[in-house]
Amino acid sequence: MRDKLLMAYRSIRERRTRSILTVLGIAVGIAAIVSLMSVGYGMEEAITGELTGMADMISVMPGKITGHAYVELGSFTDRDVNDLQRIGGIKDITAMTYDAAEVEYRNKRAPIFVLGGDTKELGGFYVEPVGIKEGRWLRENDFKGCVIGDRVANDFFDEVIHVNDKLIINDEKFIVVGIFEKASTLYASDVDPHIFLTLHASKEALQNDEIKYIMVRVYNIDKAEEIAEEIVERINDNHGLDDFAFAMTMGSAIEMMGDVFKIIRGVLVGIAAIALVVASIGIMNTMLMSVMERTHEIGVMKAIGAKSRDVLTLFLLESSMVSLVGGVVGCVLGVVAAKVISLVAGTAIGIEFSAVVKPEVLLGGMAVAMVVGVLSGFYPARKASRMSPVEAVRYE
Amino acid sequence: MIRTENLTKVYRMGDAEVYALHDVNLDIQEGEFIAIIGPSGSGKSTLLNMIGCLDTPTSGAVFIDGIDTGKLSENKLAEIRREKIGFIFQQFNLVHTLNALENVALPMFFAGVKRETRLKRAEELLANVGLGDRIYHKPSEMSGGQQQRVAIARALSNDPEVVIGDEPTGNVDTETGNTIIDILEGLNKEGRTVVVVTHDAEIAARVGRTKRMRDGRVLD
Ligand SMILES: Nc1ncnc2c1ncn2[C@@H]1O[C@H](COP(=O)(O)OP(=O)(O)OP(=O)(O)O)[C@@H](O)[C@H]1O
Ligand SMILES: [Mg+2]
Repeated sequence: MRDKLLMAYRSIRERRTRSILTVLGIAVGIAAIVSLMSVGYGMEEAITGELTGMADMISVMPGKITGHAYVELGSFTDRDVNDLQRIGGIKDITAMTYDAAEVEYRNKRAPIFVLGGDTKELGGFYVEPVGIKEGRWLRENDFKGCVIGDRVANDFFDEVIHVNDKLIINDEKFIVVGIFEKASTLYASDVDPHIFLTLHASKEALQNDEIKYIMVRVYNIDKAEEIAEEIVERINDNHGLDDFAFAMTMGSAIEMMGDVFKIIRGVLVGIAAIALVVASIGIMNTMLMSVMERTHEIGVMKAIGAKSRDVLTLFLLESSMVSLVGGVVGCVLGVVAAKVISLVAGTAIGIEFSAVVKPEVLLGGMAVAMVVGVLSGFYPARKASRMSPVEAVRYE
Repeated sequence: MIRTENLTKVYRMGDAEVYALHDVNLDIQEGEFIAIIGPSGSGKSTLLNMIGCLDTPTSGAVFIDGIDTGKLSENKLAEIRREKIGFIFQQFNLVHTLNALENVALPMFFAGVKRETRLKRAEELLANVGLGDRIYHKPSEMSGGQQQRVAIARALSNDPEVVIGDEPTGNVDTETGNTIIDILEGLNKEGRTVVVVTHDAEIAARVGRTKRMRDGRVLD
């Protein structure tokens, strides 16, 4: 057996160019499968992962969504917040003030929305998922400190804002103590264009303490819808209106996106199927060609006394080795390609995500390389080994 | 040693039937050196392929050592080609990715001979045909005559009783041709049965018996 392996290896090495081409042919096919699948999984995971991380959240706003626009109808009261605290199943509640303010930085002015709230609770909602790039998060006694979103720091003024820079918000002076990372898509609208203050400071700066936004976290995601309904009911009761409050669970947001997932899945399966077919045809083609052009050699081997089985063993070993190497190279190329594609595509469409390389995709790729490679090497070898030696020798 | 009985090979070309061999009855004795001559297309190669077990007849039979080869399995036929017969082609038909040594060792490889043993024997065989200094050359790095000598060494690797050559001198110059005939003559002297097809009258004159073919038939 060692002898045969050696012989097969010799034969591969001696036809270096041909072998490299065959390996590449297989590798490209496998790389296509691996990279496309990994990019697809990466996209899917980027979206689902983020949503499930937020699935226990309910946003409550004093207004309603008509069509695509949000119409504010007023503000919540402390009583609303206290009432919500009495609803079972709620983990925490954050009440926020929220209003536009005139902000000045190095003699340039811009209108920016300011968000104020309990620092611990607010931090719990945003700091962990988004992350602080520079400085730190707010403390309870940061009456003159503020934390700003990425766009506030980089886009809103001519000059980039750094930690310890001074901002004037509605004539009150503040020092920037922290700057958020650029938030991913789902948090971007909540964090990037905002300035965050402590509740106390925001009351001062905005000259009001109206609660414009309440975020609720529940213990049991399955109960989220129920709790959201109860929240709306209580607040509506308090204000004596039918549709004063609007509450949206992340679950329903995810549900709204359900169709999107179906499409993504469908596209993913489609891509995989196409990649599989393309890869298989490519592998078959290179393998068939490389074995078929050796029909003459097979004839010679048979003429000098090789049995069909001997020839088949030899060619099977050869195509297994070539397929194996092709598969491994293909997996490596595929992973590299997936990383590059996700980077490029990520920046192009503005969603950051990284390719997810699943072991089953790699194994699947190897399996395709081996099965398709070996079978399409086996088929012409068997055909040639079944010809009479004369016929095969004459074949050119 | 080798006997054919009403050996017939018919090729069908569309509606036409070509009798490449037509009821050939030939008896080749053990230890004989026989040359087959005849015009192109008379069926010489077809006949050699049949007695070399490289092809199967349309009808009739080939007996080797009294065994009807038509009744043997594919594997048995491969064994006969490997052990009993050494075949030399006009086109050499070496495996071009292997060097001279490995080409000569190839039939032993298929016979399951140990690596060291077969390489050693292959080296001896190459030395016997005067190629002791060319054992690591690839076919592409050798002249036609040298390639043909490698092919002869390969034909001898499993020590066959019969050596068959289909115009073994057809693609080499006269001088090399003579060397090759010398080698074949030597093999015959060792007791092997040698069958060659040739166009060369000089070769034909040197062998024990010549048979002339025409239109698929062996003439008396
Ligand atoms: N595979 C084939 N298909 C069809 N006809 C064939 C085939 N092989 C041989 N023939 C025909 O059989 C006849 C005998 O061919 P063969 O090769 O035995 O001749 P030959 O005596 O060896 O000729 P040459 O001296 O040119 O080698 C020829 O007419 C040839 O055309
Ligand atoms: Mg011929």
